[in-house]
Formats: sequence, structure tokens, C-alpha cells
Amino acid sequence: MDNVIETKNLSKSYGDILAISNIDLEIPKGQVFGYLGPNGAGKTTTIKLLMDFIRPTKGTAKIFGLDSRENSVDIKKKVGYLPGDIVLYDQMTGNELLKYFCNMRKQSDWQFVIKLAERLDVNLEMKIKKLSRGNRQKLGLIQAFMHKPELIIMDEPSSGLDPLLQQEFYTMVDEVKSDGRTIFISSHILPEVERICDQVGIIREGKLITVEQVNNLKNRSIQELEIHFGSNVSKEKFTKIPGLKSIHMDNTILFCTVIGSPDLLIKTAACFEVTKIISHQPSLEDVFLSYYGEQPTNVE
Amino acid sequence: MWWTIGIVSINLITLLFYPSFADAQELNDLFLDNNMMKAFIGDIPDLTSPEGFLDSQLFFLLIPLLFIAFSITQGTGAIAGEEEKGTLDVLVSLPISRQWLLLHKLISMFVTLLILSLMTLASLVTGAIIVSMEISFYNLSAAILNVFGLSLLFGTLGFTIGSSTGKRGTSIGISGGIAVLSYFINALAPAVEGLEHARHLSAFYYYIGNDPILNGINITDICVLFSLSLAFCISAFISFNRRDLGT
Repeated sequence: MDNVIETKNLSKSYGDILAISNIDLEIPKGQVFGYLGPNGAGKTTTIKLLMDFIRPTKGTAKIFGLDSRENSVDIKKKVGYLPGDIVLYDQMTGNELLKYFCNMRKQSDWQFVIKLAERLDVNLEMKIKKLSRGNRQKLGLIQAFMHKPELIIMDEPSSGLDPLLQQEFYTMVDEVKSDGRTIFISSHILPEVERICDQVGIIREGKLITVEQVNNLKNRSIQELEIHFGSNVSKEKFTKIPGLKSIHMDNTILFCTVIGSPDLLIKTAACFEVTKIISHQPSLEDVFLSYYGEQPTNVE
Repeated sequence: MWWTIGIVSINLITLLFYPSFADAQELNDLFLDNNMMKAFIGDIPDLTSPEGFLDSQLFFLLIPLLFIAFSITQGTGAIAGEEEKGTLDVLVSLPISRQWLLLHKLISMFVTLLILSLMTLASLVTGAIIVSMEISFYNLSAAILNVFGLSLLFGTLGFTIGSSTGKRGTSIGISGGIAVLSYFINALAPAVEGLEHARHLSAFYYYIGNDPILNGINITDICVLFSLSLAFCISAFISFNRRDLGT
């Protein structure tokens, strides 16, 4: 499968400060890729490098097989972009702004633009300076989607949107995906990534920690277990088991989160009368936090 | 638009005072031996002549001051202003090259200054007719051409610093500071020994040193003003294309 985005050893430093280091990404066509990390991890730096706003210290980035710097204009013809904290021209109305962008992109499907505005419920007649932050974000989404680009790159796209419009945004993402187009989205909203992404890359302190299918990430290594006992059991029997977190005993029920193998936990529980074991699907938040927690410095 | 209205109004109102000046020979006695005054009105032999009046009241300080303030505002706002506000992000995400963006910003500044210059010329011609001032249209045009050249020079300087640094405040400070220094070097040179040699480093010397309102177009002056502007533009293209955008 062709990769829409491909980076090799992509690195950026500002003097002595290493913003990102040796980022290797391969994002195939038709995928929704989530880029997760805490503030300052390097998500926006990676996006700016892809968009040729800044230049890499080392490494390369290719979009549609073209070099992100040398072929920047050709790439941008097929890319829609939404920055984090979008700032637009205050004196224009939404109509004027979107028409200006349509002209710059030589795009003529104004009806599609109107349809997007109706879906997102934004008033295009009002001057942008009078719009709320959420409504400006909606305009930002429209200008990113309106020319039906092959690749949409978005930095925290649903920030400022109310829950109802977040759902509409997710539907727009689904439509782009079923159209065979690609989305690269940076986010820290885990349910959002869970909902819309196929694959997730986790970045921390400028390094790509892992790239996983969203389902694998959820399933791997973290289990939330509920063990029902026939009689009261002391919580202290379980507190020293390695990999066991969030231990809570409610009468005869043990609630816990296991990272890694549950073997020792099960063997310990088997010393008592066990009436039921229930395994809950872990939230991505728990998976996420396991990468942010006591993380060894050398990671693959 | 508001700048144009303002400058046109100032020109017309100033010209309305000409008839009073024309008859006031005592002004020459009062001001022409005063070196401090010459720093603000120019080293002019006759304040009551049409050329002397226009030079001292408008061309020496007021018009270039207004034009340079406008051009530096335009020049520094073009890229640095957008970058600081945050609107540059979405603009450079469009399928346009950085060179295209700069070119269009420069053209916009050039055309705006040109229109302002032409409106200024028109207002001076109108005012001259109203007060029956005998002044050469050719020389008046030469003076306006120099105003255009001078303001373009400082506008492109501000533009270059702005597009190289992304910082509007710095750009305004540096280009405005150089403009002020340049003005005073030229203005004080006739009265201050030692500044005469430095005068040729001042852009104002090439603007008014050869007195276009009296002598018409000076090709050397025009070449210096416009070629410096071109050099600044080329510098802007080189630096903006290379640097990280602080979006």
C-alpha cells in the first residue's frame, strides 16, 4: 500500500533543545492516524515540519511521495490543514474568507462549502471578529475540508466544538475515510482517538514511543479485572503483586488493573474461593497513562 | 484610505496659508540664520517663494514623515504583522510558494504607496491652483517621485526586517530608527561640521539634498533610492525562503 506520509529520522532541534528526534512514520492511504502526546511532546513540531512551516535539522518527510520542502506547493494542493488555535482575518466575514481561500485553491464547488457550513451550523455572514472561538474553529474545519483534499492534517481539531458538533465532525472524518482519503490528527482527547482513528502514534519528549493499531493498543498489556470471592479477603494479600494497580476491595469483590501478565494475580486469587472473574475493556486513557507513567528512557 | 484623506487635507490646508507667507519677507530674516530651525524646515534661501514654502512647510519634514510612517506600517505588517497575529499559518498552508506570497505583499505595498503619491500630487496641484501659486508641475512631480522613492525605501526596509525576523515591533523600531537618524544627518549636515561627509549615507540626502522642487529630477538620486529598495526586496526573498516560520 502506498504511504501518504513517510518520515525517516525526522528531527528538529532549536540550538541545544531537541524538539523531536528520529521520528519514523509510515501512514498508508485511507487511514485515520492519531498522533497522541502531552503538551510539549512534539506533535505540533511534527505537523509544522510536514507542512514546511519549519525545516528539519535532520531526516526527511515525504507526502504523496514528494519531498515536503522541495515540492511543498504541489503537496499543499492536495492537503487540507487545520492548525491548533486557528487565527483568521477578523475584518472578513466567513463568506469572504472562504471565497478567498477557494480562489487561492482554484476551487469552485461553493455548494459543498455551503453544505459544510450548514452541517456545522456556522453563520457565514458575520464578521469573524464577532464569532466565538467555537465558530472560528468551525470555519477552520470548513476551509480544511472544503476542497476534498487527499490528506487532511489537523492539530486538535475538535477543540472548542460542543459535543453535538463533535459528533458531526466525527461523521465528516468517517466520510473522508470511506472516500479512501487520509487524515492525520493530533489530539489529546482519548475517546476521540478511540472513536475515529485506525492507528495511533504516541510521542513523548520528542520521541515516538510506539505506533499501534488502536484496538491493539487498547488490548495490549492492560486489563481491568473484577474478581468475586466467596468470602471476605484481605486486600493486603494482593498489594505486593507486581504490575497490579488501582487495587480496591469492596466487601468480597476485588477491583484492579493489571499491567502485563495476570498470572501471579490469578494464582494468588486461586488460594481463595473465586466465584466470578470479569474482565473490562480498558480505556485508552489507561493505556495512554501507562506510557506517560514510569516510562523507561530506552524504548523501541 | 484614511491616510490619503489625511495627507490630502494637510496639503490643501497648508497651501491655503501660502498667500500670507508670500508677502511675509520678514520670515526670511527671522528663520534663515537660525540653524536649529533649518533642521526642521531645510536650508532654503527664500521661505516666501513657492518652492521655499513647499519645501519648508511640506517636503522637508511633514510629507516624508507621514509617508514613511505609512510605508513602515505597511511594510512591517505585511509578513511580521501576520506572523505575530497568527494568520500566517493558514495563509502558508495554501498552495502558494513563499516567494509568491512575498511578491504579492510587495506589489500591494508598492501600489498603495503609488496611489498615495498620486493623490498627494493631485492635492498639491489643486491647492496651487486655488491659491494661484506659480510652481512647475514637472518639479512638483519630481518632488513627489522622490517622496515615493524615499517612502518605498523605508517601507521595503521594514518589510525585509519583518520578513526576516517575524517580529513587527523590532522591524518598526529598526526601520523607524534608521529613518530618524537619516533625517537628522541630512538636516544637521549644513550646520554641523563633520556631518557633511556622512550626509551621503543618509537616504534623505538623495530625497531632498538636490532639491527636486527647484531643480527637477536627479537621476542619480532616483537610482539610489530605488536600487536600495530593490536590494532590500531581494534580501527579503532570500531570508524569508530560508527561515522557520514562527507560526
